[in-house]
Amino acid sequence: MSQIAADMSHSHGHGHVSKATLLRDENITLPHGAGRGLGMGLMGVGAILALLVLVAGIAGGAEGIAGLTLKHAIASYFIGTIAVLAICLGNLFLVLAFHLTNAGWVSTIRRQAENIASYLPLAFLMVLPGILAEIAFHGKMFLWLNPTYYADEALQHKQAFFYAPLHISDPVTHEPLKTPVFPVFFLIRTVLYGIVWTYLARTMSKLSRQQDQTGEVALSAKARFTASWGMLIFALTTAFAGFDYLMSTDFKFFSTMWGVYFFAGAVFSGVATLILSLARLRALGKLEGVVTQEHFHDLGKLLFAFTVFWAYIAFSQYFLIWYSNIPEETAFFLYRTDHGSIWRGLSIFLMVGHFIAPFPILLFRVVKQKPMLIGALAVWAILVHVIDIYWIVRPMVNAGDGVATTSIMQGMWADVLGIVGPLLALAGYIIFRAPASCLIVRRDPYLDESLEHRNYV
Amino acid sequence: MAASNRIYVTEANEPIYGIMAEFATPAAIYHAAEAVRDAGYSKWDTFTPFPIHGMEGAMGMKRTKLPLLVAAGGFTGVGLAYLMQWWMSVVDYQMVVQGKPYHSWQAFVPITFELGILFSAFTAIISMLALNGLPRWNHPLFKKERFLSSSDDKFFVCIEAADAKFDPDRTRALLEKAGATSIELVEE
Repeated sequence: MSQIAADMSHSHGHGHVSKATLLRDENITLPHGAGRGLGMGLMGVGAILALLVLVAGIAGGAEGIAGLTLKHAIASYFIGTIAVLAICLGNLFLVLAFHLTNAGWVSTIRRQAENIASYLPLAFLMVLPGILAEIAFHGKMFLWLNPTYYADEALQHKQAFFYAPLHISDPVTHEPLKTPVFPVFFLIRTVLYGIVWTYLARTMSKLSRQQDQTGEVALSAKARFTASWGMLIFALTTAFAGFDYLMSTDFKFFSTMWGVYFFAGAVFSGVATLILSLARLRALGKLEGVVTQEHFHDLGKLLFAFTVFWAYIAFSQYFLIWYSNIPEETAFFLYRTDHGSIWRGLSIFLMVGHFIAPFPILLFRVVKQKPMLIGALAVWAILVHVIDIYWIVRPMVNAGDGVATTSIMQGMWADVLGIVGPLLALAGYIIFRAPASCLIVRRDPYLDESLEHRNYV
Repeated sequence: MAASNRIYVTEANEPIYGIMAEFATPAAIYHAAEAVRDAGYSKWDTFTPFPIHGMEGAMGMKRTKLPLLVAAGGFTGVGLAYLMQWWMSVVDYQMVVQGKPYHSWQAFVPITFELGILFSAFTAIISMLALNGLPRWNHPLFKKERFLSSSDDKFFVCIEAADAKFDPDRTRALLEKAGATSIELVEE
C-alpha cells in the first residue's frame, strides 16, 4: 500500500516533498552549540533560585525569614523539584512505552522525549537536598522523622517502611525512642530510584543516539528488551517514589491509589512538556514536514487521554475515601475541601483546571492539530500539574493546626521561587541538550512510517 | 431514452438507478473519484474491497456530523443522569445514608459517568446507521453479477441517475476517460 499512498499523495493536498529534502541537516538539527549559554545559564539560575529557598529556610532558624519557616521552605523546595521529577518520569514512561509497543509514528518525536527523560538524574539530584534537610533537621515536612511523633500508634505500625532494619521504639520495652533514628530503608529506596532512573534514562538515550551513527536495527530490539523489564521497574519505583516523597508528608494518611495518581500526573505533565518542546522547535522553523499536525494530533490525544485518566484516578481515590469515611483517610481530603478550609478554593480550582476545563477544549480536533493551540494547552497542563503537587504538599505546612487558619499568601514568594527555579532549570537543560544530537532518531527503522504518519480522520 | 422530467429508463422501459464503472487498482479508482468530484457530481459512491486511505478527500466528502451528535448525546446523558439522581435522592425518596447529605454529588458521579457513556454509545451507533441510510433491505447494485467482485479484487464507482448533473452519455464518457475497465447501466 505504501507505493499507492505515495502515488496518491500528489493530489492529496499534502504536497510531495522528497525524503532527502525533509531530512536535510538544517531541518533536523540545531546548529552545534546553539543555545548553550542560555541553557546553562537557565540551569544555573534555576538551581540557585530553588536552593535559595532552602538556604533562606535554614538561615531563618526557628523564627523564620520574611514569613518563611524552615518547614515551609522545604515544602516549597519539594513542590518544584517533585513536579519536575514527575515531568521527567512521564517522559521516561513515554520512551519505554513507545519501544514496548513497537510504535512507528514516534520516530520523529522520540528524541525529544529522550532528551527530557535524560534530565532525570539531575532532577533526582535536585530532590535530594530537600530530603537531606529533612533528615538533618529531624522531620519538618516528614513528621515521621520527628521523634516527637515516634509515640504515634500509626507511625509505630508503619515504622518498618521507613526505618527497617532499625526501630523507633525500644525492642525490649517497646517504649518509643526520644532520639532521631536514621531512616535506613527509606534511604535505600531513594538511592535505588536514583540508580534505576539514571540507568534507564541513560540507556534509552544512548541506544537511540548510537543508532544515529550506525543505523543498526538490532539497537531497536535491544531498546525494546530494556523497555520490557524497565517498564516493570519504572512502575514500581514511580509508585513508591509517590508514597515516599508525597504521601509520607502526612504519615497517617494512606491510599493504595496514590502511586497511580502520581503516575497519572507525571505522564500528563510529561506529554505536555514534550508537546511544548516540539512546538518550540517548529516555531524555530525546524522539523518542517517531519513533525506534522498529525504528530501533534496524536500527542494531543495522549494529553487528552491523561487528562481523563488523571481525573478518573483522582476522583476514584476521593470517592472511595469519601464513601468509606475512615478517619485516617478522610483527614487528607477534609483538610483540603472542608467548608472554611483555605484550601477549598484551590481544590475546586484543581478539579476545574485539571479536568473540567481542558476536557471539552481537547475534544476539538483543531486544538490538538495546531502547534500553537496545543502548545498553549501544554503550558496550562504544566501549570495545573504544579498546582496539583502544590495542593498535596503545601497544606501540610499548616497541618496540625486543625483546619488551616494561616494565609496562603504567607511566604508565597518561597513557593513561587521553589516552583519557578526547578522549571527554569528543566527548560535550560532542554535548550542545552537539544543541539547535542539530531532532533529526530534519523536512522530509526520506522522513520518512513513516522514521516508518512497520518490520522486519516 | 431520456425523458424531459429527468427520469431515465432503459430500452426495456426500466427506470435507471445509475451508471456503474469498474476499476482495476486502488490508484485508478482514487483518481477516478477525483475526476468525478471535480466534475461536480454529488449523488455517487465508491465501493472497494478494503478501505483506501484518503478516499474521502478524493471524493470531496465533508466531515461527518457524528462527533457533534455524540457529544450532544453524551452531555444529554450526563445531564439526565444527574437530574434523575438528584430528584430521586433529594425530592422523591429522601433517605439518610451514612449520615451524608441528601444531595451528595460524589455519590451521583458514577451513574452520571455511566449514563454519559451509554447515551454517547447509543447516539453513535444509531446516528451512524441513520447517516449511512442503514439498515436497508436491498441495493440496486446487488443485481449486478460483476459487482460481486467489489468484495474481492475490483473497485467500483456508481453515479446515480438522481444526480442533477447526471447525463447518460456525458457521465459514461467521464468514467471512460477516468480509465474504467467496464461500464454498465444499473436498473432500479
